[in-house]
Amino acid sequence: MIGASLSRWTMSYFAAALLALVAAEIMMIAGYGFPGAPVAAPETLILVHVVVIGWLSMLMCGALLQFVPVLVATPLYSNTLSLPALVSLVAGLGALILGFLQLDGRVASPLPFLPIAAVLLIAGFALILWNLGRTLAAASAVALPARFVVVGLASIACTVALGAIFAFVLGGAIGAGPLVALTAAGLPIHVVAGLGGWLTFTAMGVSYRLLAMFMLAPELEGASTRIALYLGAAALAVAIAGGTAMVLTGHGPAPALLAALALALPALALYGKDALHLYRARRRPVIELNSRMAAVALLGFAASAVLVVVLLALGQLGERIGAVIFLTVFGWLSGLGLAQLYKIVAFLTWLECYGPVLGKAPTPRVQDLVVERHARPWFTLYFVAVGGGTVALLADVPIGFRLAAVVLLAATAGIVGQLIRTRRLVEVDAAGRFPQGARRPRLLLSCEG
Amino acid sequence: MTSTFVDLDVRPILRAGGEPFAEIMAAVTALEPRQGLRLLATFKPVPLFSVLGAKGYAHEAKELGGGDWEILFTPAGGDEAAAPAAVATDAAHWPAPVQELDNRELDPPEPMVRILAATEALSKGEVLAALLCREPVFLLPELAKRGHAWSGGFEPDGKTYKILVRIGTANQAA
Repeated sequence: MIGASLSRWTMSYFAAALLALVAAEIMMIAGYGFPGAPVAAPETLILVHVVVIGWLSMLMCGALLQFVPVLVATPLYSNTLSLPALVSLVAGLGALILGFLQLDGRVASPLPFLPIAAVLLIAGFALILWNLGRTLAAASAVALPARFVVVGLASIACTVALGAIFAFVLGGAIGAGPLVALTAAGLPIHVVAGLGGWLTFTAMGVSYRLLAMFMLAPELEGASTRIALYLGAAALAVAIAGGTAMVLTGHGPAPALLAALALALPALALYGKDALHLYRARRRPVIELNSRMAAVALLGFAASAVLVVVLLALGQLGERIGAVIFLTVFGWLSGLGLAQLYKIVAFLTWLECYGPVLGKAPTPRVQDLVVERHARPWFTLYFVAVGGGTVALLADVPIGFRLAAVVLLAATAGIVGQLIRTRRLVEVDAAGRFPQGARRPRLLLSCEG
Repeated sequence: MTSTFVDLDVRPILRAGGEPFAEIMAAVTALEPRQGLRLLATFKPVPLFSVLGAKGYAHEAKELGGGDWEILFTPAGGDEAAAPAAVATDAAHWPAPVQELDNRELDPPEPMVRILAATEALSKGEVLAALLCREPVFLLPELAKRGHAWSGGFEPDGKTYKILVRIGTANQAA
């Protein structure tokens, strides 16, 4: 079999992800976690993991189950494995939250929640890796964007491995010296592997293809893309392997992380140049909302990188790391995620519903499933809130951050509302909504066939 | 889906200057309803494709290197319940396209919509040609579901993907 079909559980991943995003925004409004609590407090750890596992990783896994097959023109190895992976990840996140609450005594159960979380999250991500890995291995050729994804998948393996070590040590399950040392000093490596390797590098790879596809721009296979891949992969290897080696030999990971940054910045510059080229070389004069909002997210990415360099030069990176992470997570990763979700949900819903009758009966266009003029204000509000939140964190105004979170939640709710309307085909003219033979999509899963 | 293949290696007969046709037909006659034949030969036995096609076998030819070929002959419609496999077909013997589409400048998924619409207007056995700017990954399974055979690949420029679709012939030899 050649080609790609609908990934059955992708919509379920997206729904779980959006629920986690809304939950995280409610926590931020309530002042739960940073900046109301210290960066390393259990509350902050809960907030951060609801965002990066619950929202971003679920979003990424759901998207990859659909788009790795598209990237390599090979069907997904198994649709069946996607559901146990989803259940493991959700249960693992739940156990992780309980485990963090145990750390400061708010949950008094004798159950070892952190080790349980580690086992469940390892199982969930392993199922995803196995499924995507087998799909990639079956492909006859792995194009450049898919190689970024491969590096991202290797990074999530490292992130989960480090996280599991922390969980086993903090949960009292193991006490071996080197692992305790890693738990004490390895947090920055875990963060870089997760945010930089897994989420950012994978998002870069996927965006190369999505931007080219949706703007009718030529696929980039040239030297700058290739060098960005190699430099980025080298930066991650230095940060993760080098950083771990430094910690295990009794040093801090900082020199390895600085060396990684020196490799990563030119990689990001090349990626920025490529992205700019995709926008300039596009054959489609008027681009859709997802591509326009992706450009704002790319600006958020650039701003994050500039902020890192400026804070580093000012010697304030440590104390302002919260603002950097907020901007990276919400401006770049979540911004890109929401922008592309807006298109992906419409496209997958369209394909699921009208695929069987294309050419046989009049069908709506993909763009008939969305009303961009209704979604645009929510996206604008979203990015304004991200900017406001970042400034509030940099200026140490916690109440300003909470106000920004209120706007962020309102904007997210508005975007989610638009996604549900798309999935329900509300925007399609009722007369032509379900031609004879069309498949009525369900909200949370996609039918094959 | 075909569950098993019977192996037949006619390379020794061919290398000895012999004619394996009788052996092949005997092997095909002996096949069970859902069995296929895996034939190993020293050249691509094109005439055999139509002979066995007439007996209801689809074929898939693969060059093994050293000039040898492996051909899988599969009984068409062996299992009604199985999903149609979206497998590219050898289009060398197809008639010339009756319609050509240039879909390179269209926004996705318009190329797919136009190709499917065009296939609905053609008659069985007719061929449609289309140019695209990428491999149409979502189109291929849909063509298979509708019983059309297809053959596609990137042109030498590496940028244009050309697909040929032959209407309603997915389960027949080319």
